[in-house]
Amino acid sequence: MRNVASLLFTGGLAFLLLALGAQLAFGDPVMRVGAEYLRVAGPELGAANLVTAILAGYRGFDTLGELSILFAAATAAGLVLGHRRADAPRDPPGGLILTAGADLLFPLLLVVGIYIVVHGHLTPGGGFQGGVVLAAAFFVAMLADPSRSLSHALIAWIEGFAGAAFILIGIWALVEDGHFLAPMLGTGVMGQILSAGTLPLLSVAIGLKVGSELAGLMAHLSDTEARDQ
Amino acid sequence: MIHFTLETVVYAGAIGLVAIGALGLVLCNHLFRMLLALGIAESGANLLLILTGFRPDATAPIIGYGPAGASMVDPLPQVLVLTAIVIGVGVQAMAVSMLVRVYRAYGTLEMSELRRRMELDISAAAGIRAPSSAQSPAGERPLPPVPAYRPASARVQPRES
Amino acid sequence: MNQILLPVVLPLLAAFLMQPLAQVSRLAARALGPLVLVLSALITARIWLGFGEAPFTVAIGGFAPPLGIVFYADHLALLFALTVPLFTLLFWPGLGDQDSDPGHCARRDALVLLLVAAATGLALSGDLFNIYIFYELAAVASFGLASLTGTPRALVATLRYLLISAFGSVLSLVGISFLYMATGTLNLAQLAQLAPQTLQGPLGLASFALMLIGFGVKAELFPLNTWVPDVYATAPARVAALLAGLVSKLAVLVVVRLLVLVFQQPEASQLLLSLGVLGVLTGELAAWRARDFARMIAFSSIGQLGIVFIAFSIDGDTGLLAGIAVALHHLIVKSALFGLAARWNGSLEALTGAARRSPLAAGLFVLFALSLIGVPPLPGFWAKILVLVGLAQGGSTLQLFALVSVLLVTAVEASYLFRVAVRLYGQSDSPPAPPARWDLGAATLLGAALIGVTLATAPVADHLRNVARQAGNAALYVDTVFPKTVAQKD
Repeated sequence: MRNVASLLFTGGLAFLLLALGAQLAFGDPVMRVGAEYLRVAGPELGAANLVTAILAGYRGFDTLGELSILFAAATAAGLVLGHRRADAPRDPPGGLILTAGADLLFPLLLVVGIYIVVHGHLTPGGGFQGGVVLAAAFFVAMLADPSRSLSHALIAWIEGFAGAAFILIGIWALVEDGHFLAPMLGTGVMGQILSAGTLPLLSVAIGLKVGSELAGLMAHLSDTEARDQ
Repeated sequence: MIHFTLETVVYAGAIGLVAIGALGLVLCNHLFRMLLALGIAESGANLLLILTGFRPDATAPIIGYGPAGASMVDPLPQVLVLTAIVIGVGVQAMAVSMLVRVYRAYGTLEMSELRRRMELDISAAAGIRAPSSAQSPAGERPLPPVPAYRPASARVQPRES
Repeated sequence: MNQILLPVVLPLLAAFLMQPLAQVSRLAARALGPLVLVLSALITARIWLGFGEAPFTVAIGGFAPPLGIVFYADHLALLFALTVPLFTLLFWPGLGDQDSDPGHCARRDALVLLLVAAATGLALSGDLFNIYIFYELAAVASFGLASLTGTPRALVATLRYLLISAFGSVLSLVGISFLYMATGTLNLAQLAQLAPQTLQGPLGLASFALMLIGFGVKAELFPLNTWVPDVYATAPARVAALLAGLVSKLAVLVVVRLLVLVFQQPEASQLLLSLGVLGVLTGELAAWRARDFARMIAFSSIGQLGIVFIAFSIDGDTGLLAGIAVALHHLIVKSALFGLAARWNGSLEALTGAARRSPLAAGLFVLFALSLIGVPPLPGFWAKILVLVGLAQGGSTLQLFALVSVLLVTAVEASYLFRVAVRLYGQSDSPPAPPARWDLGAATLLGAALIGVTLATAPVADHLRNVARQAGNAALYVDTVFPKTVAQKD
């Protein structure tokens, strides 16, 4: 009975939303601010990747909020999971395929992650995407050999200082330019690695923070014992 | 008649994903399945957000990426979706860690059972009796099963007539 | 004027550095949180004192709106921006606790600072997606804080809250997509300009309903408030005070800004009114049936926030004034009640005779109860009268029904609050423990503030009238963000 009622209710809701969407012209957006971004973002910030230009430039404050959300999630997970007992047993290591694959993939993933982070303002990518690839490198290593775990203290330092670096770049802009998170250091030549002012620096800070946070989360989860002994 | 373009199909798909996620949240009893349903709903919302910037025959908003003179899609929804995906990842990771602790403590992940245990724990901590239900009208523990009723005439010798 | 960003940025910086700092020096990590809050309060107070009559905006990063994000500071925003650090200092979860694990303390303090930053950002932000992000930050931080005790019941309660909140966020994202598709912008001022042409009709109402579901979870809107009693009963009392008192008001503030600026159609107000009435009735009746102290005040909180929504659904400045008055009154009273509930968290029977052990706490409870019910000359009376007068002036059937509900509910409130008060002054062999020093101090301060407002009702009312008039002026908002001297780009 409850199933039928839920089905009817959700079906009705979906039908309403579909009918509403028929009025909207998908495929032909209004582009009120979109066209403006496409026009000025490139020359003003010097970044070829306009998505990164908006993410770290125009709406950099949103990105700061997003970093804080990820930080809050990792901190809350650390709070909930707590510490492991020193003598608790670890999961067994992965099989041959996983260990061999981890040995191969770990340096590859690190290189790819660093590439994506550093080229965030030139090609598709950026701090978040590269940070997740960096974390994936550590995921594979941890899954292959659970007895080798990361140092939580080191992760706390990296994520703390990467986040503080983001904010301190913003405060430096506040002091120098009068506006928090204003783009500094000029724009350079578009298409070069050292262009777009502080945007690559912000991408590196984001990449380090996201990578260390997700790796720390995985370390906490793999530290947790599966059941109380 | 409905005109089946790419945009309408994707829009229907996005709304469908949100609806499936909503159904999953309401109907599933297992906590992990509810989390998965939440993930599906989030994917639907992200798809819808990306769709708002879509222009057919346009390239990615990267200067020098597509052919010269091509139009680019709206870059702002892509930034919004990037943010929304990261938020979703954070919330799900935190939920999973809470799930692990709850399983360790209560031994089950069925939502109805968990709510009952939580209710009992809150009432016990406050020192009041838990709300009663049909299974445990005394509120503390279920009553022993009542033996089947056997009418007295069944035990009397049948009369020869 | 750019320093208005610092009350948002400094707590974030302190939160990021809290854990490394705790590894270096425990004392510094414990002091950092309150220090940052004092600094934020001082900065905001300085800006408030230098604030004339005209609201001002800050374009973050130097990018003019609508391309960049803008912070809008008027009386209402600054009022809440000042209240957030002060209240958090008052209910700082680390005060007087004997927790010995520095990692645990550092994480807890970091989460509180993130909550503070999110709350301040919600008060000041002028961009829809920025509001969504700060709302999510407040949500994630509150998930972490609600499960602080680590007991399984707290975790289950937090998981229920998480599922409801995350699904609400999904729906508000859908609403934001509809809004963006229709108007092409996310800036609140530009949305206010475009709303009359593009957001009338079912599309506007649907986006409002979807965003209301999203932002209404924290504002304890019916029917999204099923998480409230369990979370407030299992979270530490100071955390419950912060969530119920502070964070819910900021969620209400977001809904009010949307209502005033973007969604001015009467159907939106009617939706808010009906949900408010349902919330009031269900909340207060459940409070009457509650058998432990924490859940009783949690249900009462649902009821009071229902009255806040009813107030904001009334048209014009009277509605805004009534809503702001009820919201501020609830902020003071409910936080103080949760402060008292820290030690009084057992069943209502266990509270018998508490007045003998701590007469101050019992007296404060009676004061707050009288103000909640609405006994003159306490501020609660003035706030409720404003709501009732506004409803009576409106005159539609739904509003008259709301009027009758509020009166009915006042009787119910009187009944259960007096029940508790009588118990407090009863005889008992084993009265409950008195509230802790810090909690009692916070409650006393808030009680004194309540009495102060009672004695100075006229100037406070004038100031609030000013605040409401400025907050309801959508044209002023648009003109401040987009000054008429600059050529309008379309």
